[in-house]
Amino acid sequence: MDIFEELRHRKLESQTRRHFLKKCSLGLGGLAFAAMTGCNPFSSSEGENAQTMGSRHPLDPKPPHFAPKAKRIIYLHMAGAPSQLELFDYKPELQKLHGKDCPQSLLEGKEFAFIEGVPKMMGPQANFEKRGESGTMVSDLLPHFSTIVDDVAIIKSMHTDEFNHAPAQLLMQTGSPRLGRPSMGSWVTYGLGSENENLPGFMVLVSGGKTPSAGKSAWGSGFLPSVYQGVQCRSKGDPVLYVSNPDGIDRNLRKKAIKAINEINRKEHEQVGDPEILTRISQYEMAFRMQTSVPDVMDISDEPDYIHEMYGTEPGKTSFANNCLLARRLVEKDVRFVQLFDWGWDSHGTNEETGIDAGFRDKCRQVDQPMTALIKDLKQRGLLEETLVVWGGEFGRTPMQENRDGQEMPFMGRDHHTEAFSVWMAGGGVKGGVTYGETDEIGYAGIKDRVHIHDLQATILNQMGLNHEELTYFHQGRDFRLTDVHGHVVKDILA
Amino acid sequence: MLGIFSDKKYGIYLLSGIVLLFCGVYVLYPHEEPADYNRDIKPILNKNCITCHGGVKKSGGFSMLFQEEAYSPNESGKRAIVPGSPEESEMIHRITHPDPDERMPPEGDPLPEEKIELLTRWIEQGANWGKHWAYQKPQPVTPPEVDSDWVENDIDRFILRKLEERELEPSSRAAKETLLRRVTLDLTGLPPTQQELEDFLADNSPDAYEKVVDRLLDSPGYGERWAAMWMDLARYADSKGYEKDGPRSIWQYRDWLIKAFNEDKPFGEFTIEQLAGDLLPDPTNQQLIATAFHRNTMNNDEGGTNDEEFRVAAVIDRVNTTWNIWQGTTMECVQCHAHPYDPIRHEDFFKSYAYFNNTADEDVPSEAPNLKTFEREEDQQSLEEIKKWVHQTADSQESTEKARDFANLVRLAEPKIHAHSFDQIENGTITSTNSYLAVEHGGHARIKDVDLTGKDRMFISYRTDETSGVVEIRKGDPTGEMIGRWDIEDDAGPRSFDITSIPITPQEGLTDLYFVFKDPGNEGYVNTIEWVLFHQSLPGKGKPGYEETREKFYTLLNTDEVIETPVMVELQGNHERTTRVFERGNWLVHGDTVKPGVPDVLNPMPEEYPENRLGLARWLVSEDNPLTARVTVNRLWAELFGTGIVETVSDFGSQGYLPSHPELLDWLALQFMSQHEWSIKKQLKQIVMSATYRQASNVTPDLRELDPNNRLLARGPRVRLTAEQVRDQALAVAGLLSDKMYGPSVMPPQPDGLWQVVYSGLEWKTSEGEDKYRRALYTYWRRTNPYPSMIAFDAPSREVCVAQRVNTNTPLQALVTLNDPVYVEAARGLAERILEKAPKSTEQQLKTGYHLAMFQDIGTGKLEELKNLYRDTKAHFEQNPQAAEELTGKKDLELATLTIVSSAIMNLDEFITKS
Repeated sequence: MDIFEELRHRKLESQTRRHFLKKCSLGLGGLAFAAMTGCNPFSSSEGENAQTMGSRHPLDPKPPHFAPKAKRIIYLHMAGAPSQLELFDYKPELQKLHGKDCPQSLLEGKEFAFIEGVPKMMGPQANFEKRGESGTMVSDLLPHFSTIVDDVAIIKSMHTDEFNHAPAQLLMQTGSPRLGRPSMGSWVTYGLGSENENLPGFMVLVSGGKTPSAGKSAWGSGFLPSVYQGVQCRSKGDPVLYVSNPDGIDRNLRKKAIKAINEINRKEHEQVGDPEILTRISQYEMAFRMQTSVPDVMDISDEPDYIHEMYGTEPGKTSFANNCLLARRLVEKDVRFVQLFDWGWDSHGTNEETGIDAGFRDKCRQVDQPMTALIKDLKQRGLLEETLVVWGGEFGRTPMQENRDGQEMPFMGRDHHTEAFSVWMAGGGVKGGVTYGETDEIGYAGIKDRVHIHDLQATILNQMGLNHEELTYFHQGRDFRLTDVHGHVVKDILA
Repeated sequence: MLGIFSDKKYGIYLLSGIVLLFCGVYVLYPHEEPADYNRDIKPILNKNCITCHGGVKKSGGFSMLFQEEAYSPNESGKRAIVPGSPEESEMIHRITHPDPDERMPPEGDPLPEEKIELLTRWIEQGANWGKHWAYQKPQPVTPPEVDSDWVENDIDRFILRKLEERELEPSSRAAKETLLRRVTLDLTGLPPTQQELEDFLADNSPDAYEKVVDRLLDSPGYGERWAAMWMDLARYADSKGYEKDGPRSIWQYRDWLIKAFNEDKPFGEFTIEQLAGDLLPDPTNQQLIATAFHRNTMNNDEGGTNDEEFRVAAVIDRVNTTWNIWQGTTMECVQCHAHPYDPIRHEDFFKSYAYFNNTADEDVPSEAPNLKTFEREEDQQSLEEIKKWVHQTADSQESTEKARDFANLVRLAEPKIHAHSFDQIENGTITSTNSYLAVEHGGHARIKDVDLTGKDRMFISYRTDETSGVVEIRKGDPTGEMIGRWDIEDDAGPRSFDITSIPITPQEGLTDLYFVFKDPGNEGYVNTIEWVLFHQSLPGKGKPGYEETREKFYTLLNTDEVIETPVMVELQGNHERTTRVFERGNWLVHGDTVKPGVPDVLNPMPEEYPENRLGLARWLVSEDNPLTARVTVNRLWAELFGTGIVETVSDFGSQGYLPSHPELLDWLALQFMSQHEWSIKKQLKQIVMSATYRQASNVTPDLRELDPNNRLLARGPRVRLTAEQVRDQALAVAGLLSDKMYGPSVMPPQPDGLWQVVYSGLEWKTSEGEDKYRRALYTYWRRTNPYPSMIAFDAPSREVCVAQRVNTNTPLQALVTLNDPVYVEAARGLAERILEKAPKSTEQQLKTGYHLAMFQDIGTGKLEELKNLYRDTKAHFEQNPQAAEELTGKKDLELATLTIVSSAIMNLDEFITKS
């Protein structure tokens, strides 16, 4: 089965069976449609339904500030921070300095997380080649990715302010290194609402065996109402907490119970008049729909074999590959913001797992095929144009070899580095086959077109049709925004 | 937002401007009525001008934040405001300028005529500068005279007057059943019991309700409910936060809170003990535990982090939290620059910071200083014996003080010099993962400027695998005079770090000490040092009993049968820190040195108050402080009514909302301070005794349109329960709730696999027995992964102080109360109670079930729905008997059916709502 056949098959399927996954209703026309297709199992009359939905639900779709290029985002965060020097930022000069003492000029006045005294320089531990028509340099650690460079813009001159994981991840995801600010996904759903009322607008998938260092705050809603926080989907147990019915309660019985709850709530509303009750009724309806839509969308076993081969997915496992495929399924259902975290990129060289010359290569193998498949799959479905994909860590890694506590390390490792790292973007109105920004000859710091985290955030919001200076929330006496008082859209990478 | 308070500022005054305009009165003709700065002018300036001419930007050299700045010439040499002369005032010139390029504000339409008129009139009348309302002391107010027998107490007079002004009437009194459930949930966080309901219904005496209120205020659940409220403010958690988010033992503080509320500790003492209990004379353990309030700041154990950076972050958090809780002031704005809207200067932040910058905590993994309280009675006994020994043997003049010092040495062991303070390290390192000192043979490390005057012993907290090696303590340089020597022994004690003690030759003045490590033949680190501490030796050497006492002393230092609680300890002598302004908020860029102090705009700091946290705490709760009482009564009001009299409970500044009933707020604040003598119980009682509180909460469409947020209080409160109350109520109604109080936090069931935290082995181990059913405030609170059902109902993660939870209404909440095994078990519990009380008729069972949950009779329409559900469910289980067994674990169709019905009842909006 190829993609066209599959899509045709899907279409037929959706016409013939109850189909909760499609966006059920948008406005009154949508509601009528929902009632016709049986999307809303509780609708006793259309009028009532319209009332219960109300127009004030915080996740109702809202118009952007200007015409957007992207409607959805998939953000692939490589937690722990992958080395740019082994992947995208080719530095032959650094190779020549390999094993030599790091010059004092690079150390004076600088602070590193673990490096002490005078470390040695460390050349790239991978071979680079020009790839694609654009001739973009990519290392041999990403053979699959090398085939899609013409769809991708790589920013090589990223820099950040934080050299510890938790604050750096927070800065990347919330615009501030301290806790308490809303994450990018929360800002986007706050600004644009959700176009699917059977699934949360902001969903989070985690692989690598650990949640990121910043914890749930990396997808928290900060001071925004909690309805905008990311909903974590899990591969084991309930995909969304408590989404499955308890033992002994099937869908039919659950439907009856919710019907009774909502009917009594309606009567309560007639008596006491609190509109919050109507919102609660609609939330119980959505909860009921989520009970099928979430497991459906999370169950990848119905994907055809060629898709599994393409991504390298194995149903039932927790893996970055599975999460990439899930991300595609979620954006297909118009989930606004899909956030992936993949832990395991903290390549200090303290053990095999974190060796640039060891575990790091495994991590590359784990992500290379699926992230490439994701781009290709979105493209063949016509989704890439309106889906912005972002890939990167929270900071970069040093051109020096790590010497933790002044001692020699068992494996080759690089320390945390704020001055330079690489991020790539694809789709959603971003130019393909482009590299932007430049670092110095050893990859220590950006020397041309430097891009700060806040600039990246401004650019991402821009593609969603949001002006980062206007997307604000009044809190503690002032307007807050994702980019604080900074941020410039990186226009040169935009189509 | 719709309704009467839609504009933050009263629209009514604008009306006068419009009327004036209508009459054709214009700029140059002064009007009789004086323009009021706070009421008329500040809102215009705040909205249109202050973003560019305020604390952050001073465009054109002009700022309107402080009077003296506003009256001064700006960059162009002109004066924007010339009191008495609009013609000379550049501001008037610019806001009326015909050229859009010259006109202010620079973007958008010119100011409306009526605003221009107001500003002109104000300058004409002398441009009188006013203080923001919240910075002026509340003035005595006489409750309005109203003629109504609706009134129960003076609160109602204020409410009724406002209603009358709008030609509204208060609602009728809530039914007794509703009122009992409301007040019980409000005061104790729990539903009433059936017995309590019967008693109340049977009591027809005029003070029946008052008796209920008194009973509730005296019940232990009262302290638990209000402690839960305060725990959000205190950002209480059982973990340290940040990446590793390791465990923290601070539950004794939570227990202190419960007791403080139950004892009705006056708010002044409550404040002073939490902010400065350690600075009270000879503080008790409980007073020290109270200071854990500000040790709830996060502690970063992530490898490679700078301890000083995160110590600073914790101190900043203490400043912000203190100002937020007691003063409703957003001090965080002032961290980087002068306040954009309120007259608080950049250096004011650091004056506040200086109060908090002098405690001994330094973001180290142990979280020192920790108060040790001994679990074993005999250890406590030993401590007393040591105190007695010192008292008897020391020089009589200072024996009391010395005995206290020794007790503190055991229970606090301060001031420690942590390993990260070592420098000039040769052949060694400060370990990057946890900041310990590790040095190889032949290496050394220095501590600079140690004051050894009168100190003849040194504690070393260390860990080693070696049984050989020596550390020499040398003076001045690594080959200098040896003043101490430590032969390393294996650390055999029960703790991961052992504390040992060696003699030191006392020195006068400040000394640089070099620790020289020797262990030939050992290729690794000789040992790992956590901290050192210099102190006086135990007195009475040579006297009978000395050896025994000394032995007790070391045993106590190293016992692991202690509860440790992080507390505040003030640094003394040459350990004291200097506070300097961080330029633009950057902690690495230091500006001028500052002394502790408070902003000029508030009540002056009395000279006799000590220049430390104790002084600050006393200043906060002095009757001259205009904010503390207002902010506190407003918080209590918001807890009961869902919204404060000032809606922005943490912002009483000029960007906060104006009070809906300003006179009532001031009246309550004064009552709280003088009438109630800072008693929270008395204050709460006064509010819940009001007719305002006792109204029914039903809302008519008209009233909903007019006052959707119930700011006028023409009806009673209707608010969703808090996360804690949602859980506690479910367990209570199910008959499962444990009434066990206090102790370490518990781990009730949660789904597997939720805790996957980087670099941490901490595990969720489900509690056994009644600990599974404890009240929610005892649930183990891990910041990176709080209890999921609590988060679903809007509990914060407690990383920072949250003054007000935002209530949301989401499908995830429905999934919790429908499917979380905790709630399924609760539904089964309710079903069992139904069967117990009404074994026979179905109708009786359904009525009973509703009554057990809602404490009132079910209406016929609702009963019909439950009957339908019962019938359908029964039929379903008859066809699927195994499903019934799966649900309840019993072959009992009736139990299963009633479990489904009970679950439906426990998912009703009215059940999770206080009405």
